[in-house]
Amino acid sequence: MVNIIQKKILILAVYAAEIMMKNGAEIYRVEDTVTRICKACGINYVEVFAMPTGIFVSLDKGGKEDDTQTYIKRIKGGNTNLSKISKVNQFSREFTTTDLSVDEGMKILKSIDEEPPYPLPIRLLGAAMVCSFFCVVFGGGPIDFCVAFISGVTCYSFSALLTKLDINFFIRGFCCCGIAAFIALTAATSISQASYDPIIIGSIMLFVPGVAITNSIRDFLSGDMVSGLARLAEALLTAVSLASGAGVMLKIWDMIGGVVI
Amino acid sequence: MSVLLLQFLYILFPTCGFCILFKVPTKQFPACILTGAFSWTSYQILLYCEASAILACFIAACLVGFLSDICSRIFKEAATIFIIPGILCLVPGAGMYRTMLSLLQHDMDGFAANATTTLSMAGAIAVGLLITGSLLRVVLSVIRKLPHLH
Repeated sequence: MVNIIQKKILILAVYAAEIMMKNGAEIYRVEDTVTRICKACGINYVEVFAMPTGIFVSLDKGGKEDDTQTYIKRIKGGNTNLSKISKVNQFSREFTTTDLSVDEGMKILKSIDEEPPYPLPIRLLGAAMVCSFFCVVFGGGPIDFCVAFISGVTCYSFSALLTKLDINFFIRGFCCCGIAAFIALTAATSISQASYDPIIIGSIMLFVPGVAITNSIRDFLSGDMVSGLARLAEALLTAVSLASGAGVMLKIWDMIGGVVI
Repeated sequence: MSVLLLQFLYILFPTCGFCILFKVPTKQFPACILTGAFSWTSYQILLYCEASAILACFIAACLVGFLSDICSRIFKEAATIFIIPGILCLVPGAGMYRTMLSLLQHDMDGFAANATTTLSMAGAIAVGLLITGSLLRVVLSVIRKLPHLH
C-alpha cells in the first residue's frame, strides 16, 4: 500500500532539491533543505545523498506498517541563478515554521522554478560590462574598451544560442573564446592603437569557472569529497576549453599569415 | 594611489555585470558589488606593495570569505550569493591566457612559470576560502559552547 501523503512530501522535497542543485547550490545546503522539509512533515527517517548529477532520497515514518519510499532524480544541465537558491532557501524556512500544506508548497516551488532570468538585453549589457571593464583593468585603452564591449555582446549571445541548442560546456567555452580571439585579432590588425591581449583576457573572464571553483571548495569543506572532485574537474576542463579556444584561433591566424603574433 | 582608486571604480562594473548574469537577488546587489570591489582592491594594493600574486590572491580570497560571511549573517541569505560574484574577479583568467600564449610561442620556460603561477593562484583562492570558512566555524562553535562548559 503506497502512502499517498508520504509520496507527495517526497516529490516536494526532491523538487526543491532539484531546483537548488540545478542553479548552483552547495551539496550540504541541498541535503539540509530536503531533511528540513521532510522532518517538518513529521517523517522521522530521512536519508539524502546528493551529487551534482543526481539526488537520492529515502523516507520512512518508522512505524511497523510503514513502507520505505525512495526517489532517484537525475539532474542534467542547468545554469547558475542565485535568486532561485535564495528563494528556495526562504521557502524551506517558511515551510518548516508555518503550517503550509504540501500542495501549496508545490505551487510556490513551481512559481520559483518558472521564474525567468533577466531579459536578454540586460544580460547582454552585463556581459559587455564584464568584458570591457576587465579589458581596461588588464591594461587596455579606450579603443580596446569599445572592441571588448562588442566582443562581450557577441560572445554572450553566441553562448546563449549554444546553450539553447544543448551544446556541452566544453564546446561552448571553446567556440566563444575562439570568436572572442577572432574579434580581437581583427581589431588589432585593422586599428593600429588596438592590442589583442586585453580584449581576449576580458572575454575569457566572462566564461571563467568561478562558480565551479567556489562550490567545489565549499563541498570539500563540508566533507562531500565526491562532489568536490566532480566540480573541480569541471572547473579544470572549462579552463582548458577557454584557453584552447583562444589558442587555436591565434594559431590559425598565425598560419594564414596574420602578422600579429 | 590614483591608480588604485581607478581600479576600485573600474571593478565595480564587472562585478555588477556578474551579478546580472547570475541573477543575484536585487536587494543584495550593493553588498555583492562592494565585496567584489574590496577584495580586488586589496589584491591590487598588495601587488602595489610588491607582494607576490599568490599571497595577494590568498589574502583577497580570505577577505571575500570573511565579508560574505558577515553579509550572509546580516541579510540572512546563503553565503554563496556573496562569494560567487566576489571570487569571480580573482580567478586567474589572465594567467590562463598567458600560459596558453607562451605554449603557442614555444616558450617552455614561460609556460612552466605561467602555469605554476596560475595553478597556485587558483589554489590560493581555494585555501583562502577554506581557511576563513573553517576558522569561522570553529570560532562560532566555541562561542556557542562556552556558556555550557562550566
